[in-house]
Amino acid sequence: MPFKIYGFPPSTCTRRVALVCKELNVPYELIPVNIPKGEHKAPEYLKRQPFGVVPAIDDDGFTMFESRPVARYLVAKYGKGSTLVPDPKDIIATAKFEQAVSVENNHFDEPAGELFLQLVIKPMRGLPKDEERVKALLATLNSKLDVYEMVLAKQPYLGGDILTLADLFHLPWLYGLTEKAKLDLVTSRPNVARWYQEISSRPAWQAVKDGA
Amino acid sequence: MAILKLYGGKQASCTRRVATVLHELNVPFELIEVDVMNGAHKKPEYLKFQPFGQIPYIDDDGFILYETRAICRYIAAKYPKSGLIPTEPKANALFEQAASVELTNFDPSASKAGLQLWIKKMGYTYPTDDKVIADHLETLEKKLDAYEAILSKQRYVAGETITLADIFHLRYGVYVTYDGSESDNIMNRASRPNVARWYNELVSRPSWLAYLDGVKTTTAY
Repeated sequence: MPFKIYGFPPSTCTRRVALVCKELNVPYELIPVNIPKGEHKAPEYLKRQPFGVVPAIDDDGFTMFESRPVARYLVAKYGKGSTLVPDPKDIIATAKFEQAVSVENNHFDEPAGELFLQLVIKPMRGLPKDEERVKALLATLNSKLDVYEMVLAKQPYLGGDILTLADLFHLPWLYGLTEKAKLDLVTSRPNVARWYQEISSRPAWQAVKDGA
Repeated sequence: MAILKLYGGKQASCTRRVATVLHELNVPFELIEVDVMNGAHKKPEYLKFQPFGQIPYIDDDGFILYETRAICRYIAAKYPKSGLIPTEPKANALFEQAASVELTNFDPSASKAGLQLWIKKMGYTYPTDDKVIADHLETLEKKLDAYEAILSKQRYVAGETITLADIFHLRYGVYVTYDGSESDNIMNRASRPNVARWYNELVSRPSWLAYLDGVKTTTAY
């Protein structure tokens, strides 16, 4: 029975799950949840995902939601030999991985997402940008990426020497901000640029970057 | 083996999160206070260890780690029998789901409203904005309706046993109750009896009660 993703092809979080499926060669069936029509708030969908956002998954009857935990589950179940998540027996490598995952979540995700909303989504919907908010978000993201630049000068990936989910989790927003919003947040920082170039050119990301 | 050093603030929310988990697992630790009021956390000597200039971080016999949830996971990983991070694959996936829900659905609004409510309660002169508080609490109300649906079917956020995912909600979960009375606040509403049940159980845990007056060095349990 194929892995089912209930999602919306362009959605950031749906693409994040599809990316990891591709990385692990896990075939999936995308069951569309029509966001513009509000299907993600319909009672049948809320039974799958009580917070009313995409995606949710069904793996032969096992259901869950939240894209990053789904990614971890995919690696645990289908990623034999995969180093996308360190071996839990290696407590230090795991701790550094968790630190990097937490950094993506706490320092990067919110400002990156909101900036994308302001610079790309709002104009698409004919809504005006909030210039003050854009300035503040750029200032925040720039200060965070200055830290990334420093960290990535000393190690190839955010969790250490090996590529992990912590790096891949950044792709949807980084792609959007760099290649859709055309910002130089990444390109102006040599180590961040090197890291982004490497992770974004992976075939798995290329396959889903414009739609899961 | 040197005692685990926790660099943070006595009253700081994230320092308290780590201390709660250390206490849950009876891990001795030394609190080393960082002079945040005078910007110690932004100085080069500090940024060497925590490049984002925030508290806390830990030094566990030379191993440096920051980000509180990563620290809590690291400590729990050293004590797998505690069950605070389940290892069975499906239980682990549901734990990760719950931990992610805390991060994406609870923390953003709870921390923003909670921090301001705490500042007001303590009477600090730092500026607060009642509209910002109200907006975030409104968002949180809707999120907690979803929590009510989840907690009506199971005892804790990840299933039938307590995990780190539950403990992560403390502190900001407490702060947001400052808007309202003890018997009627956002975590204690008649309309959400399961959230109330879960919340009240969490705040009665000894690991939470131990640092009501502030985090302190704890060498014996």
